[in-house]
Amino acid sequence: MARMRPLTAGLVLAAVLGPAHADENLFGYVYGAETLPRGASEAYLWWTHRSDKGLGHYAADDLKMELEHGFTDRAQASLYLNFARHDIAGSAPIEDGQPEYPDRHNTRFSGVQASFKYNVLSPVKDPIGLALYIEPGYSRVHKVSGRPQRERSIEFKLIAQKNFLDDQLVWAFNLTPELEWRRFTDTGEKERELELEATTGLSYRFAPKWFAGIEARYHSEYPDFAHREHWALFAGPTLHYGDKHWWATLTWLPQIKGSPADPARSDRLHLDEHEKSEIRFKLGYNF
Amino acid sequence: MSHTSAWLILSAACCVAAPAIAVQYLTAEAAQKLLFPEATAFAPRTVRLTPTQKQWVEAQAGVRMRYSEQPVWQALADGKPVGWFVLDEVYGKHEFITYAVALDPTGAVRGIEILDYRETHGGQIVNPKWRAQFEGKRFGAPLRLDHDIQNISGATLSCKHIAEGVRRVLALHEVALK
Repeated sequence: MARMRPLTAGLVLAAVLGPAHADENLFGYVYGAETLPRGASEAYLWWTHRSDKGLGHYAADDLKMELEHGFTDRAQASLYLNFARHDIAGSAPIEDGQPEYPDRHNTRFSGVQASFKYNVLSPVKDPIGLALYIEPGYSRVHKVSGRPQRERSIEFKLIAQKNFLDDQLVWAFNLTPELEWRRFTDTGEKERELELEATTGLSYRFAPKWFAGIEARYHSEYPDFAHREHWALFAGPTLHYGDKHWWATLTWLPQIKGSPADPARSDRLHLDEHEKSEIRFKLGYNF
Repeated sequence: MSHTSAWLILSAACCVAAPAIAVQYLTAEAAQKLLFPEATAFAPRTVRLTPTQKQWVEAQAGVRMRYSEQPVWQALADGKPVGWFVLDEVYGKHEFITYAVALDPTGAVRGIEILDYRETHGGQIVNPKWRAQFEGKRFGAPLRLDHDIQNISGATLSCKHIAEGVRRVLALHEVALK
């Protein structure tokens, strides 16, 4: 190879790579503590497929398009456009002899979200990485039933990340309370609830550009911000690939245990508000 | 979706891996000439550490040493030693970064060069001003980000690993090249 002066090499590299990006998602559900550097942007596509309620047919897809920008080296913001597809036939819980929601087969624009993330401690420089996250949202389609609604929500997230083995092994933990207020527009019925979620993941760089690991997600809901109505625990594998300008992450989270269980559906899973399996695919592009 | 189909998707994703992109800026020979322009010869002096020496280097540098063998050349100017050229690799976020450290005969860093950068992000480490921070550093120098080595935002991992690698090379000189 011809000799190249260091400054020339630097300029060539800067032109080829563009700005550096640190907020690459190693996990499908768990957030890392790093943020984009100032001036860097990233476009994401999220696809989450949820399926099987143990009765009838249930398949739903949540699609998100996200645009993220680093405003400082520690603060970033995102905007999301969300879409929902529901394919439901005979899987709704029965209440007073009637299904709680009708069968439906449709795809709709479901709402918008914004998020703000602030990196407090770096997982690379500091003993542990820490970030704070807040995400207000508006949704016009109920996630489980597909019923039309007007929902306002606000999600808070405490993000911790610890790297091991020369930063090749990454552990992350998120604690996420979310408050939701909704009114179903078909009946006028109002609901409010607290969702409490804890997620954790461990991922290892097993080959250049490839990470593989496991993720776990505990999710619970408290209607009227009072007592816990149900909970479910998911766990499964995650796979990540990162290239020069783009990365992709694929996570499969089957439900391991949940309560209360409906014996007609399962003796160990909660399938009224959750499904047997979730698969999430995320694609990110840096620019 | 059934569990079987989920595993098939994971397997398929593994099969469509794009080939790794390697960006080579310098060969070892070109880096040797850049770091030691006055040298007329480079004599291979590969260092093979004993387990005890390897442990000592790891303890002193505070980082792991993946191999017991380190490619080293002695730079000679008309037969007179003018320093050491040490070839090393550190982890980037996704791939290894190959770089070289030049030491003067007393063990002080004379310069560093990035040879191969296969990493997705953090390419600013090739910036000459950033690399110049290492010049004159000796064994015992902290070589820590935000202490005696400035960090580059968005390239923290690369900066940290290069600094750790230089710390390891200085410890290696102390135990095997003095």
